[in-house]
Amino acid sequence: MPTVTIDGHSVEVERGATVLDAARYAGIWIPTLCYHPALSSEASCRLCMVELDRGDWRQLVTACNYPVRHDVIVYVMSERAQQARRGVMELLLARSPDSQELKELAERMGVKGTLWPKVTESQRNCILCGLCVRVCEQIIGKSAIGFAGRGADRTVAAPFRQPSEDCIGCGACAAVCPVGTIEVRVHKDECEVEISPFKSRVKLLVCKQCGAPILSTQVCEQALRNVGWATCLPMQACSQGNVGMGRKSAHATFWPELRKRLRLCPKCRRLQTAGRVASP
Amino acid sequence: MNQDSSLIEQIVERYDRDVGMLIPMMQDLQAECGYLPTDSLRALAKRLNVPLMRLYAVATFYASFRLAPKGAHEVSLCMGTVCYLKGSAGISQAICKEFKVAPSGTTADRLFTFTAVNCVGACALAPVMVVDGKYYDGVTSESALEILQGLGPAEQAAQADAKEAAE
Ligand code: SF4
Ligand code: FES
Ligand code: FES
Repeated sequence: MPTVTIDGHSVEVERGATVLDAARYAGIWIPTLCYHPALSSEASCRLCMVELDRGDWRQLVTACNYPVRHDVIVYVMSERAQQARRGVMELLLARSPDSQELKELAERMGVKGTLWPKVTESQRNCILCGLCVRVCEQIIGKSAIGFAGRGADRTVAAPFRQPSEDCIGCGACAAVCPVGTIEVRVHKDECEVEISPFKSRVKLLVCKQCGAPILSTQVCEQALRNVGWATCLPMQACSQGNVGMGRKSAHATFWPELRKRLRLCPKCRRLQTAGRVASP
Repeated sequence: MNQDSSLIEQIVERYDRDVGMLIPMMQDLQAECGYLPTDSLRALAKRLNVPLMRLYAVATFYASFRLAPKGAHEVSLCMGTVCYLKGSAGISQAICKEFKVAPSGTTADRLFTFTAVNCVGACALAPVMVVDGKYYDGVTSESALEILQGLGPAEQAAQADAKEAAE
C-alpha cells in the first residue's frame, strides 16, 4: 500500500484512494466544497488544492480527485497551497456573497473578505460546484436539473428554465448544496413542495389524521416502487388483491395495515402504536 | 404533432437509436425546423429515454443550437478585440435599445436575429457588422441603426437576392 506523507505525517492508503482520503484518514483538514463521498468527484470548486512534491518542483493538485498510485509527498499548509486556496475562496465569496456557510468556511481558512466585484443577480449565490446536478443524476436518477449555458453564463437550471416535470421534490439537491442556495419550500395551502430556485412543484402527501404534510407524493411512489410495492401506493385506493410483483402471499395480510400507516405522519403513527400498546 | 413525431422517428432511426449520436440528431432537427422546438426536444428525449435536461444542456452549450426561431435576417456584430476597442460594445447597446432585442435574441417582429460574434477576420475594417453575409465596415451606432432600419421583411430580401443573382 502506498504511503502518503502530508505535512510530515505519513499514512498508508489503498492504491487509488485520493489525497483527500489520505488527509482525512490522517486527521488533516483540507477545505472542500464540491466533494461528496456518495458522488463522483468533478473537482470543480478548486478549493482543496494542495502541493504535490514532484522531486525538483511542486505541483498544485486538487486533493479530492488526485489518486494515490505510489508513495507521494504532499503539503497542505505550505505557503503556496494556502495562498492558492485562499485565492479560490476569495473568488467564491464574490460569487456567493450571501452564503453563511461560505463565510464560515472562509473564516476558518483565514480569509477576511473579497475584493472581487460581486457577480450578477442571476448567478448569485451559486458556485457551480455541481453537487445538486450530480446527486439528482447519480443518486435520485432524475436529472431534473443540470448545467445550462457555458462560460460566464453557465448556470444550474431546469430544462427551459421552467419548473421541471422530472423533479420528484425529494430535496436531495437542497441537502447537498454547500452554500445553501437551493431551498425546499412547503406551501401548506396548496399542499405542495417547491424546490427553489427551480420552481419545480410536487404535491405533498398529508397525514390522514392531523393533516400535516408528510412528504412528496412522488418520493413516496418512487420509494414504494423501489421496494416492489408500486401497485399499493397509498394515494390510490387499491384493493387487497392488487398487490403484484408476486408478493401477494408474503404480504397480503399486511397490506391494509401498511396502507393505513403510510398515510399517517410519524407523530400520529407513534400515537397510534402507543395506543395499541396501551390497550391491545 | 403527428408529423412531428414521425420526423423525430426518422431522425432517431437515421442514427440507429444511438444516444451517443444525440448531437447529430439535434443538428438534423434544427436543419428541419430552423430551430429546436421545445416539444420536439421533449419528444426526442422521450424517444431516446434520456432526461430532457441532457438535451437542454447540449442545446444551451453550443452556440449553433437555437431554441427560438430565427428572424428574417441575420445580423452579427463583431465583438472581437479590435472591433471592441473601436466601440462595438456601444453599437451593440444602441441596437439592443433601439430594437428591444438582447444579444443572440430575435426582435419581437422576427425582423432579425442579432448575435455578437468574435473576430470575423476583417479587423482592418473594424468595427464590422455582417447582415445576411454582407459586410459593413467602420460602422457607428448611427450607421448601424440606419442599415437595420432599412431591412425589409424576408420575402423582400429574398427578391432582392434573386434580382442580384439574376444580374
Ligand atoms: S428535489 Fe428535484 S431537482 Fe432536487 S434532487 Fe430531487 S428530483 Fe432532483
Ligand atoms: S473539493 Fe476538490 S475541487 Fe472542489
Ligand atoms: S475584431 Fe472584428 S473583425 Fe477582427
